[in-house]
Amino acid sequence: MSEPTAFLYPFIDREERDPETLLSELSSSARAKIRESAQLTTGTLERLRPDIDRAGCDLAARFARGGRLLAFGNGGSATDACSAVELFLHPPTGRPLPALALVEDRAVVTALANDVGYELVFSRQIMAHGRAGDIAIGFSTSGGSRNVLEGLEEAARRGLSTVGLSGYEGGPMAGNPGVQYPFVVRSDSVHRIQEAQSGVLFELWSVVQKSLEETHGEDR
Amino acid sequence: MTGSITSEDLISSQASLPGDLAVAALALARHFAAGGTLWCIAPRWPSHGSHVAVEFVHPVIVGKRAFPAVHVEDDDLVGAVRLLSRPGDALLAISDANDSEVAAVIRRGDAWGLTTVAIGAGPRPTVRRAEHELWLDDMDMARAARSGAVVLCYHLLWELVHVVFEHPGLLAAGSECPDQVCITCSDEGRVAEVRFRPGGDWAVVLAGGEEETVDVSLVEEADPGDLVLVHAGVAITRVCESDE
Repeated sequence: MSEPTAFLYPFIDREERDPETLLSELSSSARAKIRESAQLTTGTLERLRPDIDRAGCDLAARFARGGRLLAFGNGGSATDACSAVELFLHPPTGRPLPALALVEDRAVVTALANDVGYELVFSRQIMAHGRAGDIAIGFSTSGGSRNVLEGLEEAARRGLSTVGLSGYEGGPMAGNPGVQYPFVVRSDSVHRIQEAQSGVLFELWSVVQKSLEETHGEDR
Repeated sequence: MTGSITSEDLISSQASLPGDLAVAALALARHFAAGGTLWCIAPRWPSHGSHVAVEFVHPVIVGKRAFPAVHVEDDDLVGAVRLLSRPGDALLAISDANDSEVAAVIRRGDAWGLTTVAIGAGPRPTVRRAEHELWLDDMDMARAARSGAVVLCYHLLWELVHVVFEHPGLLAAGSECPDQVCITCSDEGRVAEVRFRPGGDWAVVLAGGEEETVDVSLVEEADPGDLVLVHAGVAITRVCESDE
C-alpha cells in the first residue's frame, strides 16, 4: 500500500502530476483487499460453523420464550451493534425479533459516562434492562474494550446468553468466562475484522431465523 | 437464507468496483485537501452513516489524519444538507436505487457544488446518478448492508483516501472533469436549484454552488427548491423529480 522508499524522495511525490499510475495502484489495492475480506469472512464462517449453529439454536430458544437481544460496542463497533439490532428488528426475511442497542440513547450513555465512568456504560444498562432469558452481544475488535467486557460479565451473572465478537487472537474476551460464545475473527486489520464480524453476525441471525422456523414456529 | 459474502460474490461479479473506488478516493481526498467536509446520508441504514463519520473523524490507524465527516439525520434531508453543506464539500449517500429522498439530495449535488458518491446494491439508479457510484450490482441491498459488503465499500474508500494523501502532488492537482461529457463545462445546460423569485421572469438560482440570476420565462413554474436546467442565463426546462 505505501511505498517504503517514498520518504527518500519526497520531491518526486511533490512533482507527481499524472494520477494514472496512482489510480491503477489504488485499483489493484482495492481488488486485493476485496479478495482478502471475502476470504477472511469465508474462512471464519467455516471455522466457526459449529459454534454459530450452537449459539443460533440457543438464541432462537430464548427469543421463542420472549428473550430480547441487547447489543453494544464502541465507535465503529457501536455502529455494528446498531446494525445487528436493525437486522433483528427489521429483517429482510423471516420474523422480526426484539433487540435494543445500548449505545443509542445519548442521555443514558453520557450520563453513565459522566457520573460512574465510561467502563460501566454497558454493565449499568444490563443491570437495568437485562433479564435471565435475554441475550447480550458485545462487539470489540481488540477483544479488550473494558466496558464491553464489563457488560458481558454483568450479563452472564444475570443469566443472559453472552456472545462476544472480537478480532486478532481474541484478546481478553477469548478466555473470559463471562463470554459464552466467543467468536474471534483472526486478523490484525480492524477493517477486515469488522467486515468478517458482520458476516458472522448475519450468519448467526440466519441460524436463529431457521431454527425459529423449524422448531419454534408454534410459539409465536 | 444463507448470508455470508463469498469470494465469487465480491470478486468476479463486481468488476468495476475497484476502479470506481480508486477514482472516488482520489476525488474525495482532493476535497479534504481543499478543506471540504464529507456529508453522509443513509436514512434506511443509519448505523452505516454513523460508521462512515467515525471512520474519517477518528481513524483506526494511529497517526492518520482526521477528516471532517458528518452523518446527517433529519426528517428533511434535502433541507438539512442544503443548509449545512458548502460548495466544494462532498456527499456520500448509502441507499438502494429506490430511495426518493436520497435521490432528491443527490440530484441537487451539482447545484449546491457538491461532489456526490453513492454506495448501494442491487439495480443501479436509472435517473438520478451520483458522480461516483460504488455499486454492488449482484447483491440485494438488505443483504449487502448487513453482511459486511457495504462496510467493506466505505472501509476501502477510507483506506484509499489515505493512500492518496501519500501523494501530495496529486492532491494539489486541479479537479479535471472526470467524464468525457461534463455538463458543467459543455453547453448542454447545468442543473440549478431555485432559491427565490425577486419578481417577474427572474429567479435567483444556485448552480455549481454559486448564485446567479436567470430568466425563467420559459418554464411554467419555478418555485424555491425546484430544479431547472440553465443554459446561457435562461432556465430552459424544469428537471423532472420523479424517477419514472
